[in-house]
This record gives sequence, structure tokens and C-alpha cells, in this order.
Amino acid sequence: MTTKKMLGSQVKRLLSGVSDHGRQHLLEVETDLVQTAFLLGEAVEKLGSSFFALHNAVSAQQREVDILLAEFKDGDPKMARLRVLRDEIAQHTNEAVTGLQFQDLTSQLLARTVQRIIGLRNVLSELAVEGNELPVEGQEDEIVTMLNDINKNLNTQSSGLKDLLRKAVHQKDMDSGEIEMF
Amino acid sequence: MEKTILAVDDSGSLRQMLSFSLKAAGYQVIEAVDGQDGLDKARAQVVDLVLTDQNMPRMDGLSLIKALRAMPSYQKVPILMLTTESGDEMKSRGRAAGANGWLVKPFDPQKLTEVVKKVIG
Repeated sequence: MTTKKMLGSQVKRLLSGVSDHGRQHLLEVETDLVQTAFLLGEAVEKLGSSFFALHNAVSAQQREVDILLAEFKDGDPKMARLRVLRDEIAQHTNEAVTGLQFQDLTSQLLARTVQRIIGLRNVLSELAVEGNELPVEGQEDEIVTMLNDINKNLNTQSSGLKDLLRKAVHQKDMDSGEIEMF
Repeated sequence: MEKTILAVDDSGSLRQMLSFSLKAAGYQVIEAVDGQDGLDKARAQVVDLVLTDQNMPRMDGLSLIKALRAMPSYQKVPILMLTTESGDEMKSRGRAAGANGWLVKPFDPQKLTEVVKKVIG
């Protein structure tokens, strides 16, 4: 085989290889991410159920304590201590409610990542399709021109994908967010 | 009489936390799963406050706000955005659409109910 024939067919093979291997691995990544999102959803459901069950039990206990407290005089130190405990419970409840919102944020990030991976797989598919058009026995100039076109298409597709996937979640921690009234 | 809040968010867990927090503060809560569902429910019953997410399927938060403000019964009803978005451009768009306030997720129940109390009592 001449060098010119080899170049064309080797480039075709390379593009096809990059496309096939890339898509294969990306499919695995997508599968894992979808599974992660599902597990997070399940976890927050269970956590939420447990949280509400605990809260209901504590509330019921509080009501019983209130009945017992009615027998104490106002200045009794036990009442003061119970009030402090009640405030602590309210604070921890608030923190739990804030923390349990993690799934909303993480599922948005995961969904965006999955969309990007699907987009990337499509880009790699296009690469294989365009690579197939390369002439096996073409002149070097012809191959270079076609590779330049493939590169341009890749840039366009990549930019298109970036525009589609605007980032909506910038939170780096689970501290409660700011409030602004207009 | 109890005030009613329409809570619009496509995240089930977020709606759960919102309902829990607002009901504990004495409010009635109607949940909607996206902007279109929110609009349908807002039409069925005029509420005292709308709390809406931005990024939702079928109809996003900004579109919901614009649709609500086009209804005479919702000209004066307070509408607050509750969203992951915190950029100035999005906030400007929210304000221009008719939102009265912007809350960034995750929310703290105590701070949320303080704001709601200030807005609707």
C-alpha cells in the first residue's frame, strides 16, 4: 500500500476508533450517573420519611411534656431547661430541612452532566460519520481539507452544546441562600 | 383565616420541605409540579402568595410569573422566586417579569417564614 493510501485509511481508522471507544465509555458514565441520581432520589425519600416520622414523634412527646409542665410553677428551673431543649430541637429541625434540600441541587447538576454526555456522544457519532467520508486513497491536501472541515464542525457542535447547558447551580455548600426583596 | 401559598417546584423533595415549613408556620399550602400545573392551580383558586422555582419543565418560573401578572386577580398577589439561580441578570429578569423577591436555595425554614410573614402576614 502506498503512503497516501495508508494515511487516508489510518485517519479513518483513528476517527472511527475515537468515536467508538469514546461513545462506549461515555455510555458507561451516563449509566453510572443515572444510577447515582436514582439512588440519591431514593435516599432523600427515605431520609425525608424518617425525618417526618421523628418530627411527629418528638412533637407528640412535646405535647405530653406540655401537659406535665402545666403542673409546674412558672419559675421552675425544669421549665426553663425544657424551653431551651425545645429551642434546640427547633434549630436542629431547621438545619435538617435545609440539608434535605441537597437532592434538588445535586439532581440538577447530575441531569446537566448526563445531557452533556449525551451531547458528547452525538458529537462523537458525527465524527465517525464524517470520518467515513474521508477518501482512503485521497491526496494529502484533500485529506487535510476534510480534516479541517471536521474540526470546524466539531467546534460548532461543541459550542452549541455549551450554549444548551447553561449552569444554574453554583452553590458550593449547603448553607441557606440569600434573600432579596425587590 | 389561614393564608394560602402556592408552592411551585418540579422537585418532590423540595416541595415536601416547603410544605412542611410553611404548614408548621400556620399556612395552607397548594403544591404544583411545574409552571403549567402552577398556572392551572392558580386559576382554580386565587392564593395569597406564590413561591416558584425557575428551571422547570413545561413552563419555567419566569413564564409562570408573566402569565400570572397578566391575570387581573394576580396583579397584586406577591410572587417570590425560590431558585438555585443567584446571578444579577436572572434577578433583573425576575423583577421585570413581576417577582417581588428572590430567594436562593437552599432555604432556611425560619428565614423563609419570616419573609412570608412580612409579605402576607
